[in-house]
Amino acid sequence: MASKRFIMNAGRTSKQGQQINVGKDHAEYQGIVSTLTMHPDDMKALNISPGAAVCVRSEYGEAVFQCKEGKVPAGMVFVPYGPPTCRLMGGGTEGTGMPTSKNWEVEIEPITSESK
Amino acid sequence: MGGKVTCTLGEVKNRADLIVYWGGNPAECHPRHFTKYTLTQKGKFVPNGRKDRTMILVDIRETPSAKAADLFLQVRPSKDFEVLTTLRAIIKGQRIHAETVAETGLTLEQLQDFAERLKKARFGVLFFGMGLSMTRGKHMNSAALLALAAELNAFTKFVAMPMRGHGNVTGGDVVMRWTTGYPFGVNLSRGYPRFNPGEFSTVDLLLRGDNDAALILGADPGATMPQPAIDHLARIPTIVLDPKVTHTSRLARVHITTAATGISAPGTVYRMDEIPLPLRPALKSPYPTDEDVVRRIYQAVAKKPAWLPAGKGRRNTEAN
Repeated sequence: MASKRFIMNAGRTSKQGQQINVGKDHAEYQGIVSTLTMHPDDMKALNISPGAAVCVRSEYGEAVFQCKEGKVPAGMVFVPYGPPTCRLMGGGTEGTGMPTSKNWEVEIEPITSESK
Repeated sequence: MGGKVTCTLGEVKNRADLIVYWGGNPAECHPRHFTKYTLTQKGKFVPNGRKDRTMILVDIRETPSAKAADLFLQVRPSKDFEVLTTLRAIIKGQRIHAETVAETGLTLEQLQDFAERLKKARFGVLFFGMGLSMTRGKHMNSAALLALAAELNAFTKFVAMPMRGHGNVTGGDVVMRWTTGYPFGVNLSRGYPRFNPGEFSTVDLLLRGDNDAALILGADPGATMPQPAIDHLARIPTIVLDPKVTHTSRLARVHITTAATGISAPGTVYRMDEIPLPLRPALKSPYPTDEDVVRRIYQAVAKKPAWLPAGKGRRNTEAN
């Protein structure tokens, strides 16, 4: 299955903030931090249907997300911060004390029954 | 140039007629910001509230905050520094080539219009978020924005303020500043504070495996830090103090449930403009406060004999 390179932009959402007060162990929170938003044209190009699983690989690791269509520029994906994004984040801080937390280059590949 | 030209959110509410959000999404991350301080409030010198104010949003994607903006400028990822530097050059009347601006995702005309709006404001504010400070360029992006705010004071009153993240993260910085002189990344192992981000900052210490124990207070690095740092926290004795069970609690040796500050424990919280606000608990909690737990740990540790060899320890220094 073909893969494509994207800029991954991680951030926060208000739903995530509300869910933190309920508890991070809940399935709803896990679902929020494991959902990736992609431009509809990019989803078509990779033949990904809404709700399908994709494997995201960065220089530092990989994680699996559920994909949904949304308002992001083509070539960019958005994900709320959480344990899956921790696996993709590099540790280098370039002397600032903070790792680069946004705009990582990642490769996204749809997960099909063959690749499982 | 260093430093930050800033003000309180009360001044923003009463005076600001131009609000710029750069690399932040307050509609989702600071949902009361618009209504309490920046857009809809009627202020002393902006009596008509929203009608007297202009809001410009600069970001790499159209977030829900764009709906509240009068002008949305979509910058290409990691091109904020170039946009800020170009704005500074335009404001100083330097020549800019349109083709060099094109790589930012904006046109020269858009930036000229933006610069003109900044100069014509009566009281302008630049609020900047993680979209500016945590992308490529990091502190240099923040420095460019702070320099822009300072330079705009040649034309009008202009200030800048970071959109701080989690609850009371400003308080951590402020208290560290007035107790040690530094805001974060402070090493006290020699008995006096030393500051060196990249060496003594948490992520760097964990990644190098320099620390052999960790006490985590009101934070969840297990859900936010890079995986190698999380793995190190799981290897060493980690103690977590938190009102809730977090991802970090799961990998810690000890989790101590504490009362939630502001709900069932008193305390002081610092607003993002560094104004301290006292908190009164509305409810009672069966759990101790963070302060109680830390004090009891401190008292227990103080009863232990000094771990340094005789003649080199703290007691010897105190005797001198």
